[in-house]
Amino acid sequence: MKKTMIAGAVGTVLAFAAGSALAAAPADWSKVAAKDITLFYPGVSPLEWIQKGTEHGGARALKKGETCADCHHEEAADMGKKMASGQKIEPSPIAGKAAFIPVKVQAAHDGANLYLRFSWKQPAASGAAKMDDKNPVKIAFMLESGGKVELADQAGCWATCHQDSRTMPGAAETKTKYVKGASLAEGKFYDLYQWRSGENKGFDGHVADTRVMEGGTALVSAEGKQDGDNWTVVFTRKLAGGQGDVALEAGKTYNFGFAIHDDSAAGRFHHVSLGYKLGIDAQADITAAKQ
Amino acid sequence: MARLRRPSTKYSLGGLLSVGILLGVLFWGGFNTVLEATNTETFCISCHEMEVNVYKEYKETIHYNNRTGVRATCPDCHVPKDWTHKMIRKVQASREVWGKLTGSIDTPEKFEAKRLTLARSEWARMKAADSRECRNCHSFESMKPEMQKQRARKQHEMAIEDKMTCIDCHKGIAHHKPQGMTEEDEM
Repeated sequence: MKKTMIAGAVGTVLAFAAGSALAAAPADWSKVAAKDITLFYPGVSPLEWIQKGTEHGGARALKKGETCADCHHEEAADMGKKMASGQKIEPSPIAGKAAFIPVKVQAAHDGANLYLRFSWKQPAASGAAKMDDKNPVKIAFMLESGGKVELADQAGCWATCHQDSRTMPGAAETKTKYVKGASLAEGKFYDLYQWRSGENKGFDGHVADTRVMEGGTALVSAEGKQDGDNWTVVFTRKLAGGQGDVALEAGKTYNFGFAIHDDSAAGRFHHVSLGYKLGIDAQADITAAKQ
Repeated sequence: MARLRRPSTKYSLGGLLSVGILLGVLFWGGFNTVLEATNTETFCISCHEMEVNVYKEYKETIHYNNRTGVRATCPDCHVPKDWTHKMIRKVQASREVWGKLTGSIDTPEKFEAKRLTLARSEWARMKAADSRECRNCHSFESMKPEMQKQRARKQHEMAIEDKMTCIDCHKGIAHHKPQGMTEEDEM
Protein backbone atom coordinates (compact mmCIF):
# COMPACT_ATOMS: atom_id res chain seq x y z
CA MET A 1 0.00 0.00 0.00
CA LYS A 2 2.73 2.33 1.07
CA LYS A 3 4.78 1.47 -2.03
CA THR A 4 1.77 2.12 -4.24
CA MET A 5 1.25 5.56 -2.68
CA ILE A 6 4.90 6.45 -3.10
CA ALA A 7 4.85 5.25 -6.70
CA GLY A 8 1.70 7.29 -7.31
CA ALA A 9 3.25 10.40 -5.81
CA VAL A 10 6.44 9.95 -7.82
CA GLY A 11 4.35 9.41 -10.92
CA THR A 12 2.39 12.60 -10.27
CA VAL A 13 5.55 14.62 -9.73
CA LEU A 14 7.05 13.19 -12.92
CA ALA A 15 3.88 13.95 -14.85
CA PHE A 16 3.94 17.57 -13.65
CA ALA A 17 7.61 17.86 -14.47
CA ALA A 18 6.97 16.48 -17.94
CA GLY A 19 3.97 18.77 -18.36
CA SER A 20 5.88 21.90 -17.44
CA ALA A 21 8.79 20.88 -19.62
CA LEU A 22 6.41 20.55 -22.58
CA ALA A 23 4.53 23.75 -21.81
CA ALA A 24 6.53 26.36 -23.62
CA ALA A 25 5.86 29.05 -26.15
CA PRO A 26 7.19 28.32 -29.64
CA ALA A 27 10.95 28.80 -29.56
CA ASP A 28 10.91 30.32 -33.03
CA TRP A 29 7.78 32.34 -33.81
CA SER A 30 8.98 32.97 -37.35
CA LYS A 31 8.04 29.35 -38.10
CA VAL A 32 4.45 29.90 -36.98
CA ALA A 33 2.03 31.07 -39.68
CA ALA A 34 0.91 34.67 -39.27
CA LYS A 35 -2.49 36.06 -40.14
CA ASP A 36 -2.62 39.71 -41.20
CA ILE A 37 -5.55 41.50 -39.64
CA THR A 38 -6.11 45.23 -39.95
CA LEU A 39 -7.53 46.88 -36.88
CA PHE A 40 -9.54 50.00 -37.63
CA TYR A 41 -10.90 52.95 -35.74
CA PRO A 42 -14.60 52.12 -35.27
CA GLY A 43 -16.11 55.53 -34.44
CA VAL A 44 -19.56 55.17 -32.92
CA SER A 45 -20.72 51.90 -34.45
CA PRO A 46 -22.14 49.85 -31.57
CA LEU A 47 -24.23 46.68 -31.91
CA GLU A 48 -27.38 48.75 -32.23
CA TRP A 49 -25.92 50.74 -35.13
CA ILE A 50 -24.79 47.75 -37.19
CA GLN A 51 -28.32 46.34 -37.06
CA LYS A 52 -29.99 49.54 -38.19
CA GLY A 53 -30.83 49.39 -41.89
CA THR A 54 -31.24 53.15 -42.25
CA GLU A 55 -27.66 53.68 -41.06
CA HIS A 56 -25.78 50.54 -42.05
CA GLY A 57 -26.28 49.11 -45.54
CA GLY A 58 -25.07 45.74 -44.28
CA ALA A 59 -27.86 45.34 -41.71
CA ARG A 60 -29.75 43.25 -44.22
CA ALA A 61 -26.74 41.01 -44.81
CA LEU A 62 -26.34 40.62 -41.07
CA LYS A 63 -29.98 39.50 -40.81
CA LYS A 64 -29.26 36.95 -43.51
CA GLY A 65 -26.44 35.51 -41.43
CA GLU A 66 -23.39 37.04 -43.10
CA THR A 67 -20.45 37.97 -40.88
CA CYS A 68 -18.97 41.47 -40.69
CA ALA A 69 -15.71 40.11 -42.12
CA ASP A 70 -17.57 38.62 -45.14
CA CYS A 71 -18.06 42.16 -46.42
CA HIS A 72 -15.47 44.29 -44.64
CA HIS A 73 -12.28 42.25 -44.12
CA GLU A 74 -10.56 43.74 -47.17
CA GLU A 75 -11.60 47.33 -46.52
CA ALA A 76 -10.87 47.71 -42.81
CA ALA A 77 -8.24 50.42 -43.45
CA ASP A 78 -10.61 52.46 -45.63
CA MET A 79 -13.36 52.24 -43.03
CA GLY A 80 -10.93 53.42 -40.38
CA LYS A 81 -10.03 56.45 -42.51
CA LYS A 82 -13.66 57.48 -42.86
CA MET A 83 -14.32 57.27 -39.14
CA ALA A 84 -11.03 58.64 -37.78
CA SER A 85 -11.42 61.69 -40.01
CA GLY A 86 -14.99 62.26 -38.81
CA GLN A 87 -16.42 61.76 -42.30
CA LYS A 88 -18.64 59.06 -40.88
CA ILE A 89 -20.15 58.15 -37.46
CA GLU A 90 -17.58 59.97 -35.35
CA PRO A 91 -19.00 63.09 -33.70
CA SER A 92 -15.70 64.01 -32.02
CA PRO A 93 -12.78 63.13 -34.32
CA ILE A 94 -9.28 63.39 -32.83
CA ALA A 95 -6.90 65.24 -35.12
CA GLY A 96 -4.01 63.00 -36.14
CA LYS A 97 -5.63 59.83 -34.78
CA ALA A 98 -4.39 56.72 -36.60
CA ALA A 99 -7.11 55.32 -38.85
CA PHE A 100 -5.94 51.71 -38.78
CA ILE A 101 -3.23 49.39 -37.46
CA PRO A 102 -2.09 46.33 -39.42
CA VAL A 103 -1.36 43.50 -36.97
CA LYS A 104 0.20 40.06 -37.40
CA VAL A 105 -1.49 37.39 -35.30
CA GLN A 106 0.15 34.04 -34.57
CA ALA A 107 -1.19 31.21 -32.47
CA ALA A 108 0.12 27.88 -31.21
CA HIS A 109 -0.60 25.43 -28.41
CA ASP A 110 1.17 22.57 -26.70
CA GLY A 111 -1.73 20.60 -25.28
CA ALA A 112 -1.63 22.58 -22.05
CA ASN A 113 -1.45 26.22 -23.05
CA LEU A 114 -2.53 28.48 -25.89
CA TYR A 115 0.04 31.01 -27.06
CA LEU A 116 -1.13 34.08 -28.90
CA ARG A 117 1.35 36.53 -30.33
CA PHE A 118 0.43 39.95 -31.68
CA SER A 119 2.94 42.19 -33.43
CA TRP A 120 2.46 45.60 -34.96
CA LYS A 121 4.14 48.88 -35.73
CA GLN A 122 3.08 51.70 -33.49
CA PRO A 123 1.37 54.45 -35.49
CA ALA A 124 2.38 58.09 -35.09
CA ALA A 125 1.01 59.72 -31.95
CA SER A 126 -1.84 62.18 -32.42
CA GLY A 127 -0.55 64.58 -29.79
CA ALA A 128 -4.01 64.74 -28.26
CA ALA A 129 -4.59 64.69 -24.50
CA LYS A 130 -3.96 61.27 -22.92
CA MET A 131 -7.09 59.46 -21.88
CA ASP A 132 -5.17 56.78 -19.98
CA ASP A 133 -1.98 58.41 -18.75
CA LYS A 134 -0.74 55.18 -17.13
CA ASN A 135 -0.79 53.10 -20.30
CA PRO A 136 0.38 54.33 -23.69
CA VAL A 137 -0.69 50.99 -25.19
CA LYS A 138 -3.16 48.28 -24.20
CA ILE A 139 -4.07 45.20 -26.19
CA ALA A 140 -7.00 42.90 -25.49
CA PHE A 141 -8.61 39.89 -27.08
CA MET A 142 -11.94 38.20 -26.47
CA LEU A 143 -13.14 34.66 -27.03
CA GLU A 144 -16.65 33.28 -27.24
CA SER A 145 -17.67 29.68 -27.50
CA GLY A 146 -20.46 28.25 -29.60
CA GLY A 147 -22.19 31.45 -30.65
CA LYS A 148 -24.30 31.36 -27.51
CA VAL A 149 -24.23 35.14 -27.28
CA GLU A 150 -26.54 36.69 -29.87
CA LEU A 151 -24.59 37.65 -33.05
CA ALA A 152 -21.29 36.38 -31.59
CA ASP A 153 -20.79 34.11 -34.61
CA GLN A 154 -21.15 37.05 -36.98
CA ALA A 155 -20.12 40.24 -35.27
CA GLY A 156 -17.19 39.37 -32.98
CA CYS A 157 -16.64 41.89 -30.19
CA TRP A 158 -19.57 44.00 -31.40
CA ALA A 159 -21.86 41.70 -29.43
CA THR A 160 -20.40 43.34 -26.30
CA CYS A 161 -20.35 46.91 -27.61
CA HIS A 162 -23.44 48.99 -26.98
CA GLN A 163 -24.57 52.55 -27.53
CA ASP A 164 -25.00 53.04 -23.77
CA SER A 165 -21.53 51.80 -22.82
CA ARG A 166 -19.14 54.34 -21.32
CA THR A 167 -17.45 56.87 -23.64
CA MET A 168 -20.25 56.46 -26.20
CA PRO A 169 -21.98 59.82 -26.79
CA GLY A 170 -24.37 60.49 -23.90
CA ALA A 171 -23.59 57.23 -22.07
CA ALA A 172 -23.05 56.96 -18.31
CA GLU A 173 -19.43 56.64 -17.17
CA THR A 174 -20.39 53.69 -14.99
CA LYS A 175 -21.80 51.47 -17.72
CA THR A 176 -19.27 49.06 -19.23
CA LYS A 177 -19.40 46.60 -22.10
CA TYR A 178 -21.99 43.83 -21.64
CA VAL A 179 -23.76 41.09 -23.54
CA LYS A 180 -27.49 40.63 -23.89
CA GLY A 181 -28.92 37.70 -21.91
CA ALA A 182 -25.62 37.19 -20.07
CA SER A 183 -25.12 33.99 -18.08
CA LEU A 184 -21.76 32.61 -16.99
CA ALA A 185 -23.39 29.28 -16.13
CA GLU A 186 -24.89 28.92 -19.62
CA GLY A 187 -21.74 30.11 -21.36
CA LYS A 188 -23.30 33.36 -22.56
CA PHE A 189 -20.30 35.61 -22.06
CA TYR A 190 -17.06 36.70 -23.68
CA ASP A 191 -13.76 35.70 -22.13
CA LEU A 192 -11.51 38.76 -21.98
CA TYR A 193 -7.72 39.16 -21.75
CA GLN A 194 -5.74 42.36 -21.72
CA TRP A 195 -2.15 43.48 -21.41
CA ARG A 196 -1.33 47.03 -20.34
CA SER A 197 2.03 48.51 -21.29
CA GLY A 198 2.42 51.03 -18.46
CA GLU A 199 1.39 48.70 -15.68
CA ASN A 200 3.10 45.85 -17.56
CA LYS A 201 0.40 43.51 -16.36
CA GLY A 202 -1.97 40.95 -17.82
CA PHE A 203 -5.65 40.78 -16.94
CA ASP A 204 -8.02 37.81 -17.20
CA GLY A 205 -11.62 38.90 -17.01
CA HIS A 206 -14.86 38.47 -18.90
CA VAL A 207 -17.84 40.34 -20.29
CA ALA A 208 -21.22 39.13 -19.09
CA ASP A 209 -23.89 41.50 -17.73
CA THR A 210 -20.97 43.78 -17.01
CA ARG A 211 -17.27 43.77 -17.83
CA VAL A 212 -14.87 42.58 -15.17
CA MET A 213 -11.12 42.69 -15.67
CA GLU A 214 -10.17 40.01 -13.15
CA GLY A 215 -11.37 36.72 -11.76
CA GLY A 216 -10.35 34.41 -14.59
CA THR A 217 -7.93 31.57 -13.87
CA ALA A 218 -6.73 30.72 -17.37
CA LEU A 219 -4.12 33.42 -17.97
CA VAL A 220 -0.58 32.22 -17.28
CA SER A 221 1.28 35.29 -18.50
CA ALA A 222 1.09 38.29 -20.77
CA GLU A 223 4.35 39.76 -21.90
CA GLY A 224 4.87 42.73 -24.14
CA LYS A 225 7.90 44.46 -25.45
CA GLN A 226 8.66 47.44 -27.59
CA ASP A 227 11.56 47.38 -30.01
CA GLY A 228 11.74 50.81 -31.60
CA ASP A 229 8.28 51.34 -33.04
CA ASN A 230 7.52 47.64 -33.08
CA TRP A 231 5.37 46.04 -30.43
CA THR A 232 5.16 42.33 -29.67
CA VAL A 233 2.81 40.94 -27.07
CA VAL A 234 2.53 37.25 -26.23
CA PHE A 235 -0.34 35.90 -24.16
CA THR A 236 -0.09 32.46 -22.61
CA ARG A 237 -3.29 30.96 -21.28
CA LYS A 238 -4.24 27.48 -20.17
CA LEU A 239 -6.50 25.66 -22.60
CA ALA A 240 -8.61 24.79 -19.58
CA GLY A 241 -10.21 27.52 -17.54
CA GLY A 242 -12.53 28.29 -14.68
CA GLN A 243 -15.71 30.31 -14.52
CA GLY A 244 -15.57 33.25 -16.87
CA ASP A 245 -12.94 31.53 -19.02
CA VAL A 246 -13.72 29.83 -22.32
CA ALA A 247 -12.29 26.32 -22.06
CA LEU A 248 -10.48 25.48 -25.30
CA GLU A 249 -10.49 22.03 -26.90
CA ALA A 250 -8.55 20.62 -29.82
CA GLY A 251 -10.62 20.32 -32.99
CA LYS A 252 -12.90 23.23 -32.15
CA THR A 253 -13.16 26.85 -33.30
CA TYR A 254 -14.02 29.89 -31.22
CA ASN A 255 -15.20 33.40 -31.91
CA PHE A 256 -12.26 35.72 -31.62
CA GLY A 257 -11.67 39.45 -31.79
CA PHE A 258 -9.04 41.83 -30.50
CA ALA A 259 -8.37 45.51 -30.01
CA ILE A 260 -5.52 47.90 -29.33
CA HIS A 261 -5.78 51.06 -27.27
CA ASP A 262 -3.04 53.02 -28.98
CA ASP A 263 -1.89 56.57 -28.21
CA SER A 264 -2.99 56.36 -24.52
CA ALA A 265 -6.59 55.84 -25.57
CA ALA A 266 -9.46 54.62 -23.42
CA GLY A 267 -12.97 53.28 -23.91
CA ARG A 268 -14.29 53.33 -27.44
CA PHE A 269 -11.31 55.28 -28.84
CA HIS A 270 -9.54 52.04 -29.69
CA HIS A 271 -8.72 50.16 -32.88
CA VAL A 272 -10.68 46.97 -33.30
CA SER A 273 -10.75 43.83 -35.40
CA LEU A 274 -13.80 42.40 -37.06
CA GLY A 275 -14.97 39.05 -35.73
CA TYR A 276 -12.74 36.10 -36.71
CA LYS A 277 -12.46 32.42 -35.78
CA LEU A 278 -9.66 30.93 -33.75
CA GLY A 279 -9.25 27.20 -34.23
CA ILE A 280 -7.39 24.85 -31.92
CA ASP A 281 -5.98 22.24 -34.31
CA ALA A 282 -8.91 23.20 -36.54
CA GLN A 283 -9.09 25.12 -39.80
CA ALA A 284 -10.04 28.73 -39.02
CA ASP A 285 -9.00 32.32 -39.75
CA ILE A 286 -6.27 31.80 -37.16
CA THR A 287 -5.26 28.27 -36.32
CA ALA A 288 -3.36 27.34 -33.20
CA ALA A 289 -1.59 24.15 -34.21
CA LYS A 290 0.03 21.87 -31.67
CA GLN A 291 3.77 22.40 -31.45
CA MET B 1 -71.17 74.53 -86.25
CA ALA B 2 -73.05 73.52 -89.37
CA ARG B 3 -70.18 74.80 -91.56
CA LEU B 4 -67.82 72.35 -89.90
CA ARG B 5 -70.04 69.43 -90.89
CA ARG B 6 -70.81 70.57 -94.44
CA PRO B 7 -68.54 69.11 -97.21
CA SER B 8 -66.25 71.68 -98.75
CA THR B 9 -67.18 72.95 -102.18
CA LYS B 10 -64.30 75.40 -102.39
CA TYR B 11 -61.17 73.28 -101.50
CA SER B 12 -60.05 70.07 -103.14
CA LEU B 13 -59.70 66.89 -101.09
CA GLY B 14 -55.99 66.85 -101.94
CA GLY B 15 -55.55 70.43 -100.70
CA LEU B 16 -57.42 69.69 -97.49
CA LEU B 17 -55.41 66.52 -96.88
CA SER B 18 -52.11 68.32 -97.53
CA VAL B 19 -52.99 71.11 -95.12
CA GLY B 20 -54.19 68.54 -92.56
CA ILE B 21 -51.00 66.48 -92.82
CA LEU B 22 -48.85 69.60 -92.63
CA LEU B 23 -50.68 70.86 -89.57
CA GLY B 24 -50.50 67.39 -88.02
CA VAL B 25 -46.74 67.22 -88.55
CA LEU B 26 -46.29 70.74 -87.19
CA PHE B 27 -48.44 69.99 -84.17
CA TRP B 28 -46.78 66.65 -83.45
CA GLY B 29 -43.31 68.02 -84.06
CA GLY B 30 -44.02 71.00 -81.86
CA PHE B 31 -45.47 68.85 -79.11
CA ASN B 32 -42.50 66.51 -79.18
CA THR B 33 -40.01 69.37 -79.26
CA VAL B 34 -41.60 70.96 -76.20
CA LEU B 35 -41.83 67.57 -74.49
CA GLU B 36 -38.17 66.86 -75.12
CA ALA B 37 -37.22 70.36 -74.01
CA THR B 38 -38.70 69.46 -70.61
CA ASN B 39 -36.52 66.35 -70.59
CA THR B 40 -33.25 68.19 -70.17
CA GLU B 41 -31.21 69.01 -67.14
CA THR B 42 -31.32 72.70 -68.12
CA PHE B 43 -35.10 72.60 -67.86
CA CYS B 44 -35.02 70.73 -64.52
CA ILE B 45 -32.67 73.17 -62.86
CA SER B 46 -34.40 76.21 -64.30
CA CYS B 47 -36.48 75.84 -61.14
CA HIS B 48 -34.43 76.97 -58.15
CA GLU B 49 -36.12 74.28 -56.03
CA MET B 50 -34.15 71.69 -58.00
CA GLU B 51 -31.04 73.77 -58.58
CA VAL B 52 -30.27 74.66 -54.96
CA ASN B 53 -31.24 71.37 -53.38
CA VAL B 54 -31.06 68.09 -55.26
CA TYR B 55 -28.89 69.27 -58.15
CA LYS B 56 -26.18 70.57 -55.83
CA GLU B 57 -26.15 67.25 -53.97
CA TYR B 58 -26.05 65.25 -57.19
CA LYS B 59 -22.97 67.21 -58.36
CA GLU B 60 -21.02 65.62 -55.49
CA THR B 61 -21.87 62.09 -56.56
CA ILE B 62 -20.51 59.48 -58.95
CA HIS B 63 -23.36 59.96 -61.41
CA TYR B 64 -22.04 63.46 -62.06
CA ASN B 65 -18.27 62.96 -62.05
CA ASN B 66 -16.47 59.66 -62.37
CA ARG B 67 -13.42 57.89 -63.70
CA THR B 68 -14.94 56.93 -67.07
CA GLY B 69 -16.54 60.25 -67.95
CA VAL B 70 -20.10 58.97 -68.29
CA ARG B 71 -22.75 61.22 -66.82
CA ALA B 72 -26.35 60.45 -65.95
CA THR B 73 -28.40 63.66 -65.89
CA CYS B 74 -31.74 64.28 -64.12
CA PRO B 75 -34.03 62.83 -66.83
CA ASP B 76 -31.85 59.74 -67.28
CA CYS B 77 -32.96 58.59 -63.85
CA HIS B 78 -36.26 60.35 -63.39
CA VAL B 79 -37.98 60.17 -66.80
CA PRO B 80 -38.70 56.85 -68.54
CA LYS B 81 -37.19 56.53 -72.03
CA ASP B 82 -40.04 54.69 -73.75
CA TRP B 83 -43.00 56.74 -74.98
CA THR B 84 -45.85 55.16 -72.97
CA HIS B 85 -44.15 55.35 -69.58
CA LYS B 86 -42.75 58.76 -70.43
CA MET B 87 -46.24 60.12 -71.16
CA ILE B 88 -47.64 58.63 -67.95
CA ARG B 89 -44.82 60.25 -66.00
CA LYS B 90 -45.34 63.58 -67.76
CA VAL B 91 -49.04 63.57 -66.85
CA GLN B 92 -48.11 62.82 -63.24
CA ALA B 93 -45.60 65.67 -63.39
CA SER B 94 -48.43 68.14 -63.85
CA ARG B 95 -48.80 67.95 -60.06
CA GLU B 96 -45.28 69.26 -59.79
CA VAL B 97 -46.30 72.31 -61.82
CA TRP B 98 -49.01 72.94 -59.22
CA GLY B 99 -46.41 72.55 -56.48
CA LYS B 100 -44.23 75.11 -58.24
CA LEU B 101 -47.13 77.58 -58.59
CA THR B 102 -48.12 77.26 -54.93
CA GLY B 103 -44.50 77.33 -53.73
CA SER B 104 -44.76 74.08 -51.76
CA ILE B 105 -40.95 73.59 -51.64
CA ASP B 106 -39.69 77.06 -52.49
CA THR B 107 -37.35 77.41 -49.50
CA PRO B 108 -34.65 74.98 -48.32
CA GLU B 109 -36.63 74.54 -45.09
CA LYS B 110 -39.82 73.65 -46.95
CA PHE B 111 -37.82 71.32 -49.19
CA GLU B 112 -36.30 69.50 -46.20
CA ALA B 113 -39.72 69.19 -44.58
CA LYS B 114 -41.05 67.45 -47.69
CA ARG B 115 -37.91 65.57 -48.70
CA LEU B 116 -38.95 62.25 -47.18
CA THR B 117 -42.41 62.34 -48.80
CA LEU B 118 -40.96 63.29 -52.18
CA ALA B 119 -38.21 60.68 -51.95
CA ARG B 120 -40.65 57.95 -50.93
CA SER B 121 -42.84 58.72 -53.91
CA GLU B 122 -39.88 58.47 -56.32
CA TRP B 123 -38.56 55.31 -54.63
CA ALA B 124 -42.00 53.72 -54.99
CA ARG B 125 -42.09 54.64 -58.70
CA MET B 126 -38.62 53.20 -59.24
CA LYS B 127 -39.37 50.02 -57.32
CA ALA B 128 -42.66 49.47 -59.19
CA ALA B 129 -40.72 49.78 -62.46
CA ASP B 130 -38.00 47.36 -61.26
CA SER B 131 -35.51 50.23 -61.38
CA ARG B 132 -36.07 50.53 -65.13
CA GLU B 133 -34.16 53.81 -65.44
CA CYS B 134 -31.13 52.39 -63.58
CA ARG B 135 -31.26 49.38 -65.86
CA ASN B 136 -31.02 51.56 -68.96
CA CYS B 137 -27.30 51.54 -68.11
CA HIS B 138 -26.76 48.88 -65.43
CA SER B 139 -27.69 45.21 -65.34
CA PHE B 140 -26.83 42.17 -63.28
CA GLU B 141 -26.06 40.35 -66.55
CA SER B 142 -23.28 42.76 -67.48
CA MET B 143 -21.98 42.98 -63.93
CA LYS B 144 -18.92 40.96 -62.95
CA PRO B 145 -19.03 40.58 -59.17
CA GLU B 146 -15.48 39.21 -59.17
CA MET B 147 -14.26 42.59 -60.42
CA GLN B 148 -15.95 44.36 -57.54
CA LYS B 149 -14.68 45.07 -54.07
CA GLN B 150 -15.53 42.52 -51.39
CA ARG B 151 -18.50 44.41 -49.94
CA ALA B 152 -20.13 45.26 -53.28
CA ARG B 153 -19.56 41.71 -54.50
CA LYS B 154 -21.29 40.23 -51.46
CA GLN B 155 -24.21 42.64 -51.61
CA HIS B 156 -24.79 42.10 -55.35
CA GLU B 157 -24.61 38.34 -55.02
CA MET B 158 -27.26 38.51 -52.30
CA ALA B 159 -29.37 40.92 -54.36
CA ILE B 160 -29.35 38.53 -57.35
CA GLU B 161 -30.22 35.61 -55.09
CA ASP B 162 -33.11 37.50 -53.50
CA LYS B 163 -34.31 39.05 -56.78
CA MET B 164 -33.92 42.54 -55.44
CA THR B 165 -34.01 45.69 -57.50
CA CYS B 166 -31.40 48.48 -57.62
CA ILE B 167 -33.39 51.04 -55.63
CA ASP B 168 -33.88 48.58 -52.74
CA CYS B 169 -30.32 49.39 -51.66
CA HIS B 170 -29.19 52.40 -53.66
CA LYS B 171 -31.34 55.07 -52.06
CA GLY B 172 -29.45 58.29 -51.60
CA ILE B 173 -26.98 57.40 -54.36
CA ALA B 174 -27.40 60.76 -56.09
CA HIS B 175 -29.06 62.92 -53.43
CA HIS B 176 -28.90 63.27 -49.67
CA LYS B 177 -30.88 60.68 -47.78
CA PRO B 178 -33.92 62.20 -46.08
CA GLN B 179 -34.12 62.47 -42.31
CA GLY B 180 -36.68 60.28 -40.58
CA MET B 181 -36.38 57.18 -42.76
CA THR B 182 -37.71 54.02 -41.17
CA GLU B 183 -36.59 50.39 -41.41
CA GLU B 184 -39.44 49.83 -43.93
CA ASP B 185 -37.82 52.37 -46.25
CA GLU B 186 -34.69 50.23 -46.34
CA MET B 187 -36.19 46.79 -46.79
